[in-house]
Amino acid sequence: MKKFLRIVWRELGIIRKRPLYILASVGVLAVNIVFYTTFFRDGLPSKLPIGLVDLDRTSTSRAFSQQLDATQLGQVVYYDDLHLARHDMETGKLTSFVVIPEGFNADLQAQHQPHMAYYVNSLYFVGGALAYKDIMTMVNLTNGAVQREILRAKGYNERTARAMIQPIVLDQHQIGNPATNYGVYLNGVLLPGILEMIVILVTIYAVGSELKYGTSRQLLGMADGSIEKALLGKLLPYNVIFTVLGIGLELLLFHWFHYPLRGSIGWMFLDMLLLVSASEALGMFLVELFPVLRLAVSVGAILSVLGISLAGFSLPVEAMPPYIQGFSAIFPLRHYYLIHVQETLWGSGFAGCWKEVVHLLLFLFLPAVLMGRLNHAYIYQDYERD
Amino acid sequence: MKGINFVSTWFRDWYSIFVHELRLIFSDAGAMVIFFVGGLLYPVLYNLIYMNGTVDEMPVAVVDLSDGAYSRRYLQKVDATRECEILLYCTSLEEARQLMQKRTVHGIIYVPADFDSRIVRGEQGFISTYADMSSFLYYKSLTMGTSLAMLDEMHQIQIENYQLPQMVEPEENMPYNRPFSYTIFFISAALMLVIQQTMFYGSSLLAGTLREQNRSFASLPRQLQGLGVGRVVLGRGAAYMAVYLVVGTIIALLVPWLFRLPQRADWTEIMILLLFFIVDCIFFTFTWSTLIWKRETVFVLFLSASPIILFLTGFSWPTSAIPTFWQWVSYLFPSTFGCRAFINLNTAGGTLATVAPEIRALAIQAAVYYFLSCAAIYVENLIVKKRG
Repeated sequence: MKKFLRIVWRELGIIRKRPLYILASVGVLAVNIVFYTTFFRDGLPSKLPIGLVDLDRTSTSRAFSQQLDATQLGQVVYYDDLHLARHDMETGKLTSFVVIPEGFNADLQAQHQPHMAYYVNSLYFVGGALAYKDIMTMVNLTNGAVQREILRAKGYNERTARAMIQPIVLDQHQIGNPATNYGVYLNGVLLPGILEMIVILVTIYAVGSELKYGTSRQLLGMADGSIEKALLGKLLPYNVIFTVLGIGLELLLFHWFHYPLRGSIGWMFLDMLLLVSASEALGMFLVELFPVLRLAVSVGAILSVLGISLAGFSLPVEAMPPYIQGFSAIFPLRHYYLIHVQETLWGSGFAGCWKEVVHLLLFLFLPAVLMGRLNHAYIYQDYERD
Repeated sequence: MKGINFVSTWFRDWYSIFVHELRLIFSDAGAMVIFFVGGLLYPVLYNLIYMNGTVDEMPVAVVDLSDGAYSRRYLQKVDATRECEILLYCTSLEEARQLMQKRTVHGIIYVPADFDSRIVRGEQGFISTYADMSSFLYYKSLTMGTSLAMLDEMHQIQIENYQLPQMVEPEENMPYNRPFSYTIFFISAALMLVIQQTMFYGSSLLAGTLREQNRSFASLPRQLQGLGVGRVVLGRGAAYMAVYLVVGTIIALLVPWLFRLPQRADWTEIMILLLFFIVDCIFFTFTWSTLIWKRETVFVLFLSASPIILFLTGFSWPTSAIPTFWQWVSYLFPSTFGCRAFINLNTAGGTLATVAPEIRALAIQAAVYYFLSCAAIYVENLIVKKRG
């Protein structure tokens, strides 16, 4: 036990001597938290630039533009001709634009069904999709406003007219994110994903550095030649750092920012503990597989970036090609995400997440598989150092 | 005479540094892995992951308590959309909720018992939808599918029951990415980012190695006549240019062709953009890699910067909604302009004239970073000298 504590003490010395470890864990996570929470602080974009080419210039077209401008989402930018608006959409300045043709009002009054064209730039995802929704709503409202005038002239009362203008009303509910907040949706999984990346890289770096700087034999000596003891002692300080970071992150998201959470934060803590431990195990497995620091770091880097895409919270996993889908399971983040969904959307507790808990626990057996290989490298240091 | 001498020395030095750097690159397995495997593997992998790009025929559960002609016709229309597929009819909302919790379905449509009778009576009928918010694409598919079907059904009821025609004929134009495919919008931005980031990581890896071994390129100017900082920067830059003309061409021209992504620009225009972008990336890399003094630290410290830089390009969250502070930060990165220019040129089918502002920004940025990278070498040289 005393020897074990000496290994821990040695590691604390390394961490104090090289600021890299604290920078790469606490510093990097802090920068990412500040970035994502301030970047998406509005939750939904507002005042999207929507172009309007008003060739009609009548009270009807002006009323339309004023209403479009008054929506929370859109801000109207006026254009005199189509080409300028199109140019600005091509350069990404506009998310979309609407063209009100000449004679629009006259045709409308004569019930000639004038056209109203709109162009949407769907290359800029969120902006384009939202502008599209906004314009579709406004076109339908315009349609309804004219219909209402006609119905009133025919003598229908307000209630009947409303039912005729909009016979079906959709009442939309968003489970788990009632405000359709993009930040809540993204940060809830992306930030743990960044933590997974940090854990994998720092674990590889810490374990691999012993090889690079040729200190692995000294470490083994302190542990009486037991690689398990040596690694347990070495990684204990990191385990504490990662766990504190993880719990802090969950507290920040659900307690301080009040992200929607149907279930209890206790399950999120468990989820986070499992994510951190599984990622650490994955990092150890990689450095065992490639006991050369720079190679292990490069592979860890390539993998952990992919892990974020493959978690399936942006493009769902079932929409990926079948031969890619299986790969998602090798990343702890995928399982973290599934537990996260169960707990935040449904609050289903143990019943909802035990399968994924088992999956994450399986990761903990990974380092045992190739431990001998690392042991060999630690003793003989027979791989190239840099 | 002296002038000619200077020019010929300049070129000789420049050439020897260029060759030296190329040798360094090609003899370092780590850097080669990042430049060629990373640079070429990522575009292919991302194309495979995002191959389909849309959530089509998303499974939806239906609770139809009305079970009349109108509700059935509406549900058939939802089923017919590209976005939704009605997988199961449930008897209660609770049953449907459990299906969604098990992730069998990702949306629920609930039609209350009085729906049909209300429409027949000439009143408004209400339908509730519940979206699984664990992915925004589920939400988008359910919203699109149910709304499009609702509009169609609405107009049919208006014509059949009330002889009320549609007053405005909407004319939809979505020229670039009709199905709102994730592939087209993500890959277009990611391709340029891969160029910048692999160059930064690979080059920093090399610079870190050299500094670790006390043979940084910053000590080179001392061996040259006169102040040789410019020769060092341009000589090394030329080596990266040579590598990235190959990697960049493959990423920007071959990969989109291979995966049938839109290629609406002339290849010469893409090459011109690429030239500006790569030059900018080189000086950007030279400036910021000054921070890297050990080989592996670049990944440990700066890997998570990649997603941040990607969001800063405005490819997803609209530029107009990015907080001012982060907009200023975004001007630090070549990718902010490079990605936008590539999207507007290659995918939106603009011309060089439409991307002129971005190209101008890339040129200004390159000039600033050139001087900064010269200054960085000058300062590093002083530090190294002091240390002995």
